[in-house]
Amino acid sequence: MVARVGKIGFLINPIAGMGGAVGLKGTDGLAAAALARGAKPQAAVRARACLHLLSQEPSLLFFAASGEMGENVLLQCGLPYTVAYTAARESSSEDTKLACRAFLENGVDLILFCGGDGTARDVANAAGLRPILGIPAGVKMHSGVFAISPQAAAELALGFVRGELLARDTEIVDVDEELYRAGELQTRLYAIAKTPYQPVLVQERKRIYSSASEEEFKDQIALFASEFMRDGSAYILGAGTTTARIAELLGVEKTLLGVDVIQEGRLQQKDASERDLLALLDREKSVKVIVSPIGAQGFILGRGSQQISASVLRRIGVENLIIVSTPHKLAELPRLLVDTGDLEMDRILAGKRMVVTGYRIAQRKETAAASALHI
Amino acid sequence: MKIKYLLDEEEIPKKWYNVAADMPTPLDPPLHPGTLKPLSARDMEMIFPKALIQQEMSTDRWIDIPEEVRDIYRLWRPTPLYRAAALEKALQTPAKIYYKYEGVSPAGSHKPNTAVPQAYYNMKEGIERLATETGAGQWGSALSLATCLFGLKCTVYMVRSSFDSKPYRKSAMRVWGADCFASPSDKTNFGRKILAEMPGTPGSLGIAISEAVEDAASHSDTNYALGSVLNHVLLHQTIEGLELKKQFDLADDYPDIMYGCCGGGSNFPGMVFPFIPDKLKDKKDLRMVACEPSACPSLTKGLYAYDFGDTAGMAPVIKMFTLGHDFIPPGIHAGGLRYHGDAPLLCNLVHDGLIEATALQQNEVFEAATLFARSEGIIPAPEAAHAIKPAIDEARRCKKTGEAKTIFISLTGHGHFDMAAYDAYNDGKLVDYEYPADLVKQSLAKLPRV
Repeated sequence: MVARVGKIGFLINPIAGMGGAVGLKGTDGLAAAALARGAKPQAAVRARACLHLLSQEPSLLFFAASGEMGENVLLQCGLPYTVAYTAARESSSEDTKLACRAFLENGVDLILFCGGDGTARDVANAAGLRPILGIPAGVKMHSGVFAISPQAAAELALGFVRGELLARDTEIVDVDEELYRAGELQTRLYAIAKTPYQPVLVQERKRIYSSASEEEFKDQIALFASEFMRDGSAYILGAGTTTARIAELLGVEKTLLGVDVIQEGRLQQKDASERDLLALLDREKSVKVIVSPIGAQGFILGRGSQQISASVLRRIGVENLIIVSTPHKLAELPRLLVDTGDLEMDRILAGKRMVVTGYRIAQRKETAAASALHI
Repeated sequence: MKIKYLLDEEEIPKKWYNVAADMPTPLDPPLHPGTLKPLSARDMEMIFPKALIQQEMSTDRWIDIPEEVRDIYRLWRPTPLYRAAALEKALQTPAKIYYKYEGVSPAGSHKPNTAVPQAYYNMKEGIERLATETGAGQWGSALSLATCLFGLKCTVYMVRSSFDSKPYRKSAMRVWGADCFASPSDKTNFGRKILAEMPGTPGSLGIAISEAVEDAASHSDTNYALGSVLNHVLLHQTIEGLELKKQFDLADDYPDIMYGCCGGGSNFPGMVFPFIPDKLKDKKDLRMVACEPSACPSLTKGLYAYDFGDTAGMAPVIKMFTLGHDFIPPGIHAGGLRYHGDAPLLCNLVHDGLIEATALQQNEVFEAATLFARSEGIIPAPEAAHAIKPAIDEARRCKKTGEAKTIFISLTGHGHFDMAAYDAYNDGKLVDYEYPADLVKQSLAKLPRV
């Protein structure tokens, strides 16, 4: 029997990661400055650490961007490839997007890229529903598409193209680098992408349930929520795929990257702003919030759903904050994080919080203020 | 200091105590799941022997223990009462801590106390096979042992989460000659239905009960046996509390507070029911606390109402504190405590305020179990450890107040089959589950009535 050939689109953001070591907190628009400060290109080294592990696999075919955007590393590792896109001499984020489109035209199973959150945004924008996987090489990696190491990326890529692993939805988040350099951490949710993942066993041993059933838990959470949401209150639904599943079950179209208001099963307000929410609080007696952790670091507030601000929360009351998450996602997070921009509110939210993880099932999870952690 | 209070074999009680004779509020009758009319003895004859049905419905205060049953009890009974001197020292408490250890039975828990008489009465009435469910595997092991001693066959439906995590429990059942299947199984209609709907389910006691009842109801040579909840089970377990009273006499002491773990109710009621008359007639100032997991807190968070005893709605409808028969608790390690309801006799007394309840998280329970093992030596079953945690808390309170209270722990069994759970705790992988009681209440308030 001949093994099926797995097609992988591969690109590197050659300047990714250079800003970090020289204190630039990201490299967007600053490659020349980074080089001047003595930064060395990191991405190719990280990419080699990953691809080297794939060099013994006969059943892989790569589609690459030219030169330092991918081709060079594939050549060094002795992997079979076709150049699908020829980049400009000084590549830009436009090249990343165009290369991804070329990969899709070649029918790749997976886009493997090497970079940081900025690269992830560009790749996700171009890839649509095609699974993507990041070899971590950037300064910031808040997005859920990154493997924990180049070596882990090799295992995930291989497992996925062999059909042993599944893909799941994850969030693409990025920090506003200019604000970040000014000392302010402002993350935004940019897209939802599909990415391969290793089933993390939620309870030790294989027995309880494997990650393959993560979608079932989303359904369980949605069913439970659809039942407790019939109490007449207005429900503010935060961003993310778990909250989107609740809306889906209620037959309401959810703004995936924004905040919606649902009452008695009907959409009250789509893509609400903080001001909309404050106005809602003026008219409604009972308002509750449902949020789920966003990104690789598990922010429940302050990332992706900034509309649910400290002043909104204060008026709603912390006791009316409902956190939902699949047990799988929760198991991967050491803790949940909040960053409402209001230290007093963050302090109130910190501690053990109840997280609904299934139908009439919840867990207790440690929640911390991001400001107290120096991440 | 004297550590063990031991009774002679001849002091094994000759009668069980039936609390139904002394309860201030009479028990609400069990209902037929189809007609919702009170269950008749005839309804029960399809799956139970007549002698057990009589016990189930009896309000006689004392019921004779057959000699054949007492002869088998001699293998491990009377069980020892220990003074936990080392634990007291570790806690530096003025409190006196005692525990009665049921782990000395061949199956390693208190479950043979009722498995043996149940197998005996079925054998006497010509039944050839018993079908049952098991959560943690303790009841399945106990019934396998008991059927083996009386020459009966046994089929055990073991909740999937425990079946996978405790492979040696099923090995033990096999040694005693029983067949053990993971539930939901493909052996019954109900099991096949659940498997089709929820292929990855960890299973639950409610599902396993439905499978065993279906098996018994569809085979004339087969009866059903249940290891908790039912009145006759609690009756048989009172042998523990009756021994305990004599042992406290030996120690010249009397408990101020008693803790026992509680799933469906068998060990805890068995240990404390014989003390109920002291509280009612002699007005003893005694607290009895049922200890349940936060993941499945029927007594502390459930509704006191009629509900089905099983998931399929085939078992009798009983008045109890319930989380709903469709609730499938998360796969915690104290598998024996994953039941959506509780024994009606116990619930009645909790409702009347004679018995209290408390709920505990997995991690704090294992922390307490580890402290217990490091001072007393015995590694407790995770279920039993639910009673240790609040007892330790009480002893620590005594340290603060200087009170020399007498604290009792019912230690239902050893944890030798639960090492995976201890590993998970030590690796920091145990999840603390919670029951979202307020949200559930909110969801039930507006649910359409079916």
